[in-house]
Amino acid sequence: MSRHEVLKKLEATLENFLSEAVEPEKKTVDGTRTVETLDEIAGSSLRGRYVNNQLSSWFSKNGRLLESRSLNEDDITKIANFLGNIRTGLDDSDPESKELSEKIDDWRERGVVPKRRLILKLKRKTTDKNLLKEFMEILSRESQYINSGEFEDMHLLSALDDILKSAELKADPMYAHLAGSMIYYLKSNGYKVEPFVKRLKDVEQTRLKGADK
Amino acid sequence: MSHPEQAYYQALEALRNKDYRAASGFFKTAENQFADNLDFRILSEVTALLVAVKDEINEIEDESLVVEEMYSDGQEAKLRG
Repeated sequence: MSRHEVLKKLEATLENFLSEAVEPEKKTVDGTRTVETLDEIAGSSLRGRYVNNQLSSWFSKNGRLLESRSLNEDDITKIANFLGNIRTGLDDSDPESKELSEKIDDWRERGVVPKRRLILKLKRKTTDKNLLKEFMEILSRESQYINSGEFEDMHLLSALDDILKSAELKADPMYAHLAGSMIYYLKSNGYKVEPFVKRLKDVEQTRLKGADK
Repeated sequence: MSHPEQAYYQALEALRNKDYRAASGFFKTAENQFADNLDFRILSEVTALLVAVKDEINEIEDESLVVEEMYSDGQEAKLRG
């Protein structure tokens, strides 16, 4: 066998290997990309941006996703949570948004359902704490935090998004309180705040659940 | 999606389209982030090997073309002296 023939055989073998190996890997990456794209859309929606075009495009690209059964349970949960977040930001009085809401509802009926949490509430314990002093302290800490330079040149909506993320991750109630007052301020200035309210409610429920344990 | 992740995705797309040279370039862009990913390394190294094999084949085929041209051009007699 000549050197040319050996190389040709090797070329064919490597090409076959790659075409066999790339498909499963591509499916995995496709799945990750699909979820990440929806995550980005949900993020934009939570910031109060208009996402109808992006969401329509996502649905048209992934219309057969459920039939293909290529998603694992974790992906389905993530998609369900993102769609749930987007759904709360859609204005059903607009026909286009309504159509998208119905599509989200349709996916929900077909099994794309967010994981539900069981929240048990107990009455909070009353204490003899000096609430006014605590309130003044929390305002002071909030003021220091806002002036720390972290939010310099940032829009209030972006700052709120960051603070809600901190509230989701940290036990300190200052973040939720600060987020609440920012939401109130934005609302009184005509901004759409429903998605932020929902996030804050979730944070508060999780916090209460932790406190009641 | 981060830049290296995007590059990995593009590499897989290029492999699917049998554009091995482009795939090899995208793998190089993504290699720092995926150095510990065995699947990535196998695909990346096999693609690089395939590109090298194709280069070698092209070189051999180019050489044989030159020889054929010399013969078809009537140079055979001169070469034989």
